[in-house]
This record gives sequence, structure tokens and C-alpha cells, in this order.
Amino acid sequence: MTLVATSVAAVLFLALPLAVTDEYYLHVFVGILYFAYMASAWNIVCGYTGQLSLGHSALSGIGGYISTLLLINAGLTPWIGMFIGAVCATGVGVLVGWPCFRLRGPYFALTTIAFAEILRIWTENTEEIFGVELRGAQGLSVPLKGHAPALFQFDGKVPYYYIIIAMLVGVMAITWWMERSRMGFYLKAIRADQDGAEALGVNSTRYLLSAMAVSSFLTALGGSYYAQYFRYINPERNMGLDLSIELALMGIVGGQGTVLGPVLGAFLLTPAGEITRATLGGKFPGLHLVIYGLVLILAMLFLPKGLIQPIRRLLGRKSAASRESEPAAA
Amino acid sequence: MPLLEVKGISKSFGGLQAVKSLSFAVEPGEILGLIGPNGAGKTTAFNMIAGYFPPDTGQIRFKEENITGLRAWDISHRKIARTFQLSKPFGDLTVLENVMVGGFHHQGSRAAARRKAEEVLGFLGMTERLGTEAHNLTVVDRKRLELARCLATDPELLLLDEVVAGATPAEAVAMMEIIRRIRDMGVTIIMVEHVMRVVMGLSHRVLVLHHGETIAIGEPQTVSRDPVVLKAYLGDRYGRA
Repeated sequence: MTLVATSVAAVLFLALPLAVTDEYYLHVFVGILYFAYMASAWNIVCGYTGQLSLGHSALSGIGGYISTLLLINAGLTPWIGMFIGAVCATGVGVLVGWPCFRLRGPYFALTTIAFAEILRIWTENTEEIFGVELRGAQGLSVPLKGHAPALFQFDGKVPYYYIIIAMLVGVMAITWWMERSRMGFYLKAIRADQDGAEALGVNSTRYLLSAMAVSSFLTALGGSYYAQYFRYINPERNMGLDLSIELALMGIVGGQGTVLGPVLGAFLLTPAGEITRATLGGKFPGLHLVIYGLVLILAMLFLPKGLIQPIRRLLGRKSAASRESEPAAA
Repeated sequence: MPLLEVKGISKSFGGLQAVKSLSFAVEPGEILGLIGPNGAGKTTAFNMIAGYFPPDTGQIRFKEENITGLRAWDISHRKIARTFQLSKPFGDLTVLENVMVGGFHHQGSRAAARRKAEEVLGFLGMTERLGTEAHNLTVVDRKRLELARCLATDPELLLLDEVVAGATPAEAVAMMEIIRRIRDMGVTIIMVEHVMRVVMGLSHRVLVLHHGETIAIGEPQTVSRDPVVLKAYLGDRYGRA
């Protein structure tokens, strides 16, 4: 059943560019898939451990800026630059997480917001550092090289579409694998009761930091993708609070701590945000944020485990839990 | 050679001296009861042994190794397991998954952790509840589940904090039987307990704490007739009698 559904979805998504030839619609799909990828990366630390990050945009920004700066200043292809950016973001993510994960309470959420905002404000007000042009709030443009696959630049949107599909499948596969491994069990145990988990030998600091590292790495890759796709990056869009909140919202509304939840959240909220921005954005700027807020309140009230919960029940699978208790599994 | 040796550990919280120079030793295979009125320092003593906070002074040795000040997970890897006074199962995981968290202790593979968990749940007679989400369990089943999680880590020393609290008399008897069988497997046990019938019935020796200090240690019959103990529990009038 799951296998059939997955195969059908895979075929549909792979064939989509054949049916959708209008660049605009393809662009919308790339946007949805990008958010699905980013929300899934966020989910690895926040969904599974219950530690809320509202600063993941900083990691995306670090990835995007580093890969772009390396291309501009050193001519290094973003295919490599994105991994350098991801390694740097991983280091930053672990440094931010380290002191917080030793404490109990909302410190991680507060620290991530503060860190991301400081980084954004600093970037917006920095024209140049050590001779490297950052161009402040204006942002950086990726130098155009025409059709240059080796430099992550393509004609048309179809290649970008397939790249983000591959990235999304990758992050989902990592999540799926993690959920079934010792690490997934430990993270969920920490989320439910950190003291209880530690009594069973779980080094909570180490596992929280591992999850943060994986999540930071993947988020930064997404940031680089975004910069290369739009060929433009600025502090507001690529490391602003809006992006952090959107990722968290998609994860929470869709269903935290599940493989499909954040993807579902992105598929619902990205178009909703796009439509409200397009139709009402001119008259009531910021209205999409009000709507996001309402959606979050409703989701918390009626579906605290996310939209994935009723869908699973519909499919007769109460949770990942019930699979574990089928006699012949594993 | 004692399995666990506690030498003069103390802990104070602000002005409150929760445990004052506590010393005792536990022999392999023994059940030691830790009793005392509320606030006597029993759970504080457990928290120090299990690595939840370090003692202010003193030393804790397990199998001749100094384990004072190690973190909870390191203590767990030295084969000391504990239950909590307030059982908080990993609520959105099933019974089986809860115990698998303990089962991953020694084996990284999911299949091995699962085998271990099924074995332990079978031992505790919880096989029919494998797929139940833990937050749906009764208080007594939560206690049993917590015990199962501990056993899945293959402990040599088990610290039980009020495992029969909230149980009916019949359930308490069943729990006593389980504790006896765990001891028969070779696990050494220290139990904090308020239900005297249980602690007196199971323990080889009983240690009585009062205001953080040891006021008596010995066989259950001797301790229960000790005037100092009676006074601590029941007040001056009974102590003199």
C-alpha cells in the first residue's frame, strides 16, 4: 500500500515537467518543493526532539552566502561551495545548540531567534568585510554564465525542478532511516522525557547536537540551492525571521516528528501564502503573516499532532507505533 | 566485596540539608530497603547515585570504581538503572517502543533492541500491551513499563523509587513477586518504599533515613522495633513506649 502510493507519487512528480510547460506553474512547484525540503530539514532537530528553532533561516543564509561568495570571489562552483557552506553552518548550528541543550526550557528557541536576527542585521549593515563585498541589504547577485551546468546554472526551470526533487527525496530518506534507527528512538525519548531518557543511557546533549548538526547541514544546502535558483540573495529573504517562522509553521501544521508531515505542511501553506500575497499583498501588506498565525492557532487547537494525524488514521495506520507492533515486521 | 559503596555523601539545597553524610554498602544479590518519613532524603540519595546531581561531599563507588559525579547516561552504561517516583513514560511511543529505547543500550540494531524489549515485556507479563501507546496505561502499568525499560538495559543494580505507590493490595503483591524474580535473576536492588508490608517483606536489610541522616540500619524485624525509628515515624510518645 505504502509502496504503491510512493511509486505513484514518484512517477507523477517525475513526469510533471512534461505536463506543466508553463514556466510560472513550474516555478510554483519548485517553490513548494523547496519549502518541503527546508521544513523537512528543520523537522530533523525540531520535530523529533521537540526543541523549537526559530532561527533556521540563519543556517540557510550562511549556506547561501558562502556558496555565492565563493562563486563570485573565487570562481568556485556552487556544487562544491554549497557543501563548504553546509559544513560551516553545521559548525555554527552546533555552537549555538551546545549551551542551550544543557539547559531545560525555552532557551534554544530564544537563542536561535536572537542569533538569526543578529546575523541578519549584521549582514544588512555590512558592505564589506576583509575585502569581501557583502553589499549589505542590497544583497548579492550570482554572476550569470548562461547555460553552465558545472556552475549550477541552467536554461529554464526543469533542471532546478529535478534537483530540488532529488534533494527532497534525500532529506526524506534520511528522516525515514533516522526514525527507525537508534538515533530516532533516542530523539523521541528525549522529546518525551529527557530525564527518563538519560536514565536509560541516552547522552541527551550528544544526540540533540547530532540532530542539530544534520539539520543545519541540510538547511544550508537548501539555502545555497535557493541562491542559485533565484540567482540573487539578500539578508531579508535568505536569513530573515519570516523564513524561520514559515519553516516552523509548515512543520508544526503538517505534523512534527514524522517523515511526511512537513512535506504536507509545505504543500498546503506555500500555495496559500503565495495566493494571499498575490491577491491581497498590495492592499494589506503582511496579511499572509496574520493568516499564518490563524492557521497555527487552529492547528494547535484541533490538530496538535498536525494534519498528518487524521490522514494516517484514515489510512488505518494509527502511527509509526502500530507498525512496530505488527507481528511479522522488522 | 560490596557492589555499591556510598561513603559519606551529603547534599544541601540552599539552607536545606537534604542528605547528611550518608554511608552504606550493598552486597551483590541483596535487596536493600530505603525508608523514612517524607522529606527524609531518600530520593535525593537516589538522584546522587544515579548521576542526576553530584553530591557536595563524599564518594560513590560501584564495583570498586569511583562513579561520583558521572552523568546519568554514564551511570546507566555502568549498569545501574533507576525508576522515577513519578513515572513518565515516553507518551506517544508504544509500550514496545518505550522498552526498545532501553534495548538500544547495548545493541545498535533495531532488531536486537526489539528482541530484548519483547523478552523483557514477556517476563513482566505485558505482551498483550505491546502496541498500546504508553499514555493510555494505568498508573500501575506505567510502573511496570518503567521497570521494563530499566530491565532492557541489563542492569546489575536497580534503584526502585516507590514502585508500588498507587497500586491496589493485589497489584502490590504481584509487583513484589516481580521484584523477587528480578532479584533471582541476580540483580541487586535498592528500593525506596512507603508501603511497609512490601519493603519489610522483600528487603534483606533496611536503612532508615530521617532529616537526611541514617538513624538505623539492619534486618527488617530489628529495625521495625527500634525505638528511634518508631519515634521518627510516629512521634515521641511511641518512641518511649
